[in-house]
Amino acid sequence: MKNGALLIPVCLGWLAIFWLLPRAKPRSRILGAIIGLAALLALQATFLPPVGNIVRDGMFYLFSGSAILAATLMITDRNPVYAALWFALTTLSVCGLFLLNSAPFLSAATIIVYAGAIVVTFLFVIMLAQQTANANYDHRAVQPVLASVMSFVMLGALLFALQEWGGIDGKADDAAREGQFVAVDASSKANQFSQPPSSNKTEIGSMRVLGRSLFSDYLYVVELAGTVLLIATIGAIAIAPRRSQGTL
Amino acid sequence: MTSTALESQLVVGAILFALGMIGFLTRRNLILIVLSTELMLHGVSLNLTAFGRYHGNPQGQVFTIFVLTIAACEAGLALSLILTLYQRRKSLDVFLWGNLGEEDLPMLSSGNAPPHAKPIDPNADLPHLTPAGRAPSNPTTKA
Repeated sequence: MKNGALLIPVCLGWLAIFWLLPRAKPRSRILGAIIGLAALLALQATFLPPVGNIVRDGMFYLFSGSAILAATLMITDRNPVYAALWFALTTLSVCGLFLLNSAPFLSAATIIVYAGAIVVTFLFVIMLAQQTANANYDHRAVQPVLASVMSFVMLGALLFALQEWGGIDGKADDAAREGQFVAVDASSKANQFSQPPSSNKTEIGSMRVLGRSLFSDYLYVVELAGTVLLIATIGAIAIAPRRSQGTL
Repeated sequence: MTSTALESQLVVGAILFALGMIGFLTRRNLILIVLSTELMLHGVSLNLTAFGRYHGNPQGQVFTIFVLTIAACEAGLALSLILTLYQRRKSLDVFLWGNLGEEDLPMLSSGNAPPHAKPIDPNADLPHLTPAGRAPSNPTTKA
């Protein structure tokens, strides 16, 4: 069985998530944590081999591990306030991964928008709306078996596709013939402001290259995004409850 | 950047997406459902930046900026909607909104849903119009 190693982390991960999901009778979280750590170790052994650069590997494992752990705790925590805080931690870890992908501006922007604005607003709404600290509906998951099985089947399919794909360069020589992901020359000749593809890979996340690409190649999309923001603002003001109807 | 590093990032993105999907399907709190969709968006943006780094062009990060914009719009709209819904039923339970049709229709959600709760203010479901002009005389009381 060629892809048999795929089954171990997926099944262990499913077991851990299913064990940790909130239900009426609380289960011991230590057992779920042990199974989850075993799943992460099996995943590291099968799918996340070290690249060789020890600093980069260490940071990648640190950030991805904390992202996955915080996401697991977010979807399994019974208290919505703690869940929102775990989501903030997930955001910070993902921003660390952005930094590894040489995207410093994007990392800072994500921290400001998500951790600074979205999570704080969610926390405000939770604290305004949550009158009883332990609401009944937070203590029981909806269809935990079906939902977790379906999600992990999808995750297994994604991992299987990645394993079969075998990389852009190197292992799969016939990738170009089979119409897989192929590196294309990104310079669009029609636009004279278009940034030529940079040879220095640490430069692609800088403000200069990013702004050049945003305001030349994607100028119409930027205008469209601004319009969407304006419409969303108007819609939020129109939907939000009026003071005459009694706010929170 | 070697291909293994790219694949590792794709694996982490897929895991984040699957976890967000589980959260979206299993939680009953309206706010946590919206937060789970943001988790799925994180997985997608991780994929985008990894591919952008691999190809050496800024397009992946530009797309992530647009994802960020749409996420901000979505969060604002969802929160105002959740506030309106909470104001009507005084609860964040999504099962309270499992039946948007007539009250005598059967509920689609499973058995552990609470019974169809009456809104606390019976007029809260009706739109409020600003009264304008003179109040009309009622013909039935006149006779």
